[in-house]
Amino acid sequence: MKVTIKHWHAVAQWRWDTGKSEPNSDDSEGDVCGICRVPFEGCCPTCKMPGDDCPLIWGECTHIFHMHCLLKWLGTAASKQQCPMDRRTWGMPTKFSLVAVPC
Amino acid sequence: MASIAARRLGKELKEIHSEGCPVGINLVKADDFETWWFTIEVMGESEYKGEVYTLQFRFDGQYPISSPAVQFVITDGRQAPIHPHVYSNGHICASILGNEWSPVLSVTAVCVTLQSMLASCKKKERPADNDRYVRHAPDNPKKTQFHYDDDTV
Repeated sequence: MKVTIKHWHAVAQWRWDTGKSEPNSDDSEGDVCGICRVPFEGCCPTCKMPGDDCPLIWGECTHIFHMHCLLKWLGTAASKQQCPMDRRTWGMPTKFSLVAVPC
Repeated sequence: MASIAARRLGKELKEIHSEGCPVGINLVKADDFETWWFTIEVMGESEYKGEVYTLQFRFDGQYPISSPAVQFVITDGRQAPIHPHVYSNGHICASILGNEWSPVLSVTAVCVTLQSMLASCKKKERPADNDRYVRHAPDNPKKTQFHYDDDTV
């Protein structure tokens, strides 16, 4: 039998490499942005497309948020420039690398 | 109403409907994303045993970046609990509702915090400056600059 491929679609999946547990583990709180409660792989409430245009931001304290959500918070006087999770002063780690990886 | 608050509150409401509220907390009314009401009751032995209070949450379009306005309801025969941090007009002096608000907190998290604030109370009394405060208090408790000077209650 001879099979001729006439047409094919490539399908790829991605997720942010947060250095944390498996993508589908039951760590339900771990994979959503604590501010908007949308999964990291989704986008913040002000964006329409997830991905590079709505990236994550990673603090020195290792907490992760959608960048837009966190910046909105840090832009308020009430934030006192603190991480929403642990109230430590928000800082960016010196070695900052957060990339989308194929899974 | 900006979508940021509506989306986040929609998720919280869905979770309340699917998983229920924490023990002693019950949703009374949440027909929109502007005002929600809950009843709150302290479980077990406490100064407030058997007493049920109503909490009102008011949200602006920037919730959860901006904190909700939370107070006890004192209309229709309901009263605010007698507590050193609760004024007779229903306003609550609690740091998490003011300068320690964080956008990772949620409506149920606030309810639970207030529940434990009541549970740990040793002596039922009004704040020392109750009469003075209530006379001049703004309608919205968020407009009050509280001083959080007592971590013991």
